[in-house]
Amino acid sequence: MKKSFRFYLALWGAKIGTLLLKIFRRNATFFPGKFALKVCPDFIGRIQKPKTMIAVTGTNGKTTVCNMIEDVLKDNKYDFIDNKYGSNIDAGVATTLISGVSFMGKSKKDLAILEVDERSAPKIYPYLTPTYLVCTNLFRDSLMRNAHTEFISGILTKYIPKDTILILNGDDLIVSNLAPENKRMYFGIDRLDTDTEECENISRDIIACPKCDTKLVYDYVRYNHIGKAHCPKCDFKSPEIDYLATKLDLENMKMTLKIGEREEEYDLISDNIINIYNIISVITVLKQLGLSKEQINESLKKLKIVDTRYTEETVNGVKIITHLAKGINPIACSRVFDYTRKYKGNKAVFLIVDDLHEAVKGSENTSWQYDTDYEFLNDESIKQIIIAGARYLDGLVRLEMAGVNKEKIVYERDELSALDKLKLEGIDTVFILHDLYSMELKDAAKNKVEVMIKNLDKKEK
Amino acid sequence: MKMEILFPEFCNLFGDIFNMKYLKMCIPEAELIETALDEVPTFVNEDVNLIYLGPMTENTQEKVIKKLLPYKERIEELIEKNVVFLFTGNALEVLGKYIENEDGSKINGLGIFDVYSKRDMMHRHNSLMVGKFEDIEIVGFKSQFTMMYGDNTNSYFLEVEKGIGLNKESKLEGIKKNNFIGTYVIGPILILNPLFTKKIMKMLGQEKEVALKDDVMAAYEARLEELKKL
Repeated sequence: MKKSFRFYLALWGAKIGTLLLKIFRRNATFFPGKFALKVCPDFIGRIQKPKTMIAVTGTNGKTTVCNMIEDVLKDNKYDFIDNKYGSNIDAGVATTLISGVSFMGKSKKDLAILEVDERSAPKIYPYLTPTYLVCTNLFRDSLMRNAHTEFISGILTKYIPKDTILILNGDDLIVSNLAPENKRMYFGIDRLDTDTEECENISRDIIACPKCDTKLVYDYVRYNHIGKAHCPKCDFKSPEIDYLATKLDLENMKMTLKIGEREEEYDLISDNIINIYNIISVITVLKQLGLSKEQINESLKKLKIVDTRYTEETVNGVKIITHLAKGINPIACSRVFDYTRKYKGNKAVFLIVDDLHEAVKGSENTSWQYDTDYEFLNDESIKQIIIAGARYLDGLVRLEMAGVNKEKIVYERDELSALDKLKLEGIDTVFILHDLYSMELKDAAKNKVEVMIKNLDKKEK
Repeated sequence: MKMEILFPEFCNLFGDIFNMKYLKMCIPEAELIETALDEVPTFVNEDVNLIYLGPMTENTQEKVIKKLLPYKERIEELIEKNVVFLFTGNALEVLGKYIENEDGSKINGLGIFDVYSKRDMMHRHNSLMVGKFEDIEIVGFKSQFTMMYGDNTNSYFLEVEKGIGLNKESKLEGIKKNNFIGTYVIGPILILNPLFTKKIMKMLGQEKEVALKDDVMAAYEARLEELKKL
């Protein structure tokens, strides 16, 4: 696409706007792009872009994957643009591209790392061809925005540019069938001892063969539709994995990655299966950019999952773990509930998963709670569940529907007051499971639990 | 008592399947029959007391229409015989005349009800709803790509107080004929509405209290108050 007068008007306006926003110390991560798109709707198509563009999409993990790619690249002195601090919709992507060009529109960087919201595909991919597109997974997400996985995978297949090379989660049968004409490579994890033959989750979104409609046979299930399956009638089956994690050693936090006939050992920075998938996707991307195993592993070792997603701390022998459990996102919450129940020792769980963003509109559509495996919280090792926030009564009913004994549940409107009822006796770990929009509340809750543990210790002494 | 869930492996979006889990909790002695899409529905050859169909993807709608079309007359017969039906979300569209795509192409439905729906896949409608069913108020959520058109003046399920009816211009929601209830309200409508669940139970000849009565009533009353303030 040629650069029109309109394009330059949009670019210069956005550049001046960025400067003004910075002078007034305002966030310039969205509005410059929004302005540019308003003035020139096909702005993303007209702006000069870096030679290599990595896009990352998927229901869960795209922010974590982008953060890790960026941190490793930075550690290895790569220069690039990214939307780390911006939004992942068209305006955020436009803002990032604007930051990567000169006032005359000439590209200053050779590499871009872009997190792209999957629902925004129709507004981005007609104008931008990523060199590589990573898709981490596709699950049920906000039903108000994303409806269902068939809708999202449909728009991705329709809009992903034909020349983009796909880096796909091969253990996700929905993801592995995206844009079937495109060149691709798969990452995945070999069969684990914890895999099962039956799905214990509420939802599994690929039941029938996409080719012939016959019911698929799952060789094993990891969670939801993640696993390995084949069609008993035609040749449809899970793909062969190009970057396959084998020998997961969670005790020593190591894994082996099988790439063709070659095997490489990597350190793990998380024992959560979701993050292990994220790490493998990161390694696969970085390999395409030409980084060596040593470069990747040395940098990966230094990383940690960002504090907004996961923290852990031990106070007088009691561990406090905060874990993001994105409200309205059933699978993200289910994975965290599964992680919580399987975590060693006795646990108390503080649940603040209301979507405050939705609550502002007056009331939250809580249907997602019934796509979420609250049943995982019905576990002998979870001694107490405190549920609080605007939807505390709905949360109570959902927990009761999951079979949790009401005597184990504390339910109150006010989040911090509810915490007063936390019983620490015999508890090894307190889990604070919180929504994306509850960061301040999460921090306040964590501080309060710390004080409660310290006070308990004083009393005991 | 037999309650049949049609095609739960596919028609299970938005947590709606918990409506039947809850109804089973309310009527523990009921037999819950889950019929897969590649099986013959139980209602075809046997009498059942309730038939449930939940929301599904657009591709699944076509499969379900194909599956149910041979049983159209049987479904009509069961509606006349006052069998309880609960169709939620876009399940209702399966029984309409047709579903129209954005390009004007049409997918014929069973044509049991004189209504049709139009898809607009890039504009999803979301809203909260309060509506009146007989003497009770019902709360719920709507989230859909389609709007339904046709005259339901004499066959509506809810008179809407907040939110929309069959479409944005309508205040009459869903379809009710005898004991058939079809509604665009999605999610755990029975858990959210214990008074409605009680009515469904009465239709089934069960004069007893709903499960988790105090807690579901407290949640219902809180939501009703909240939605009325909007």
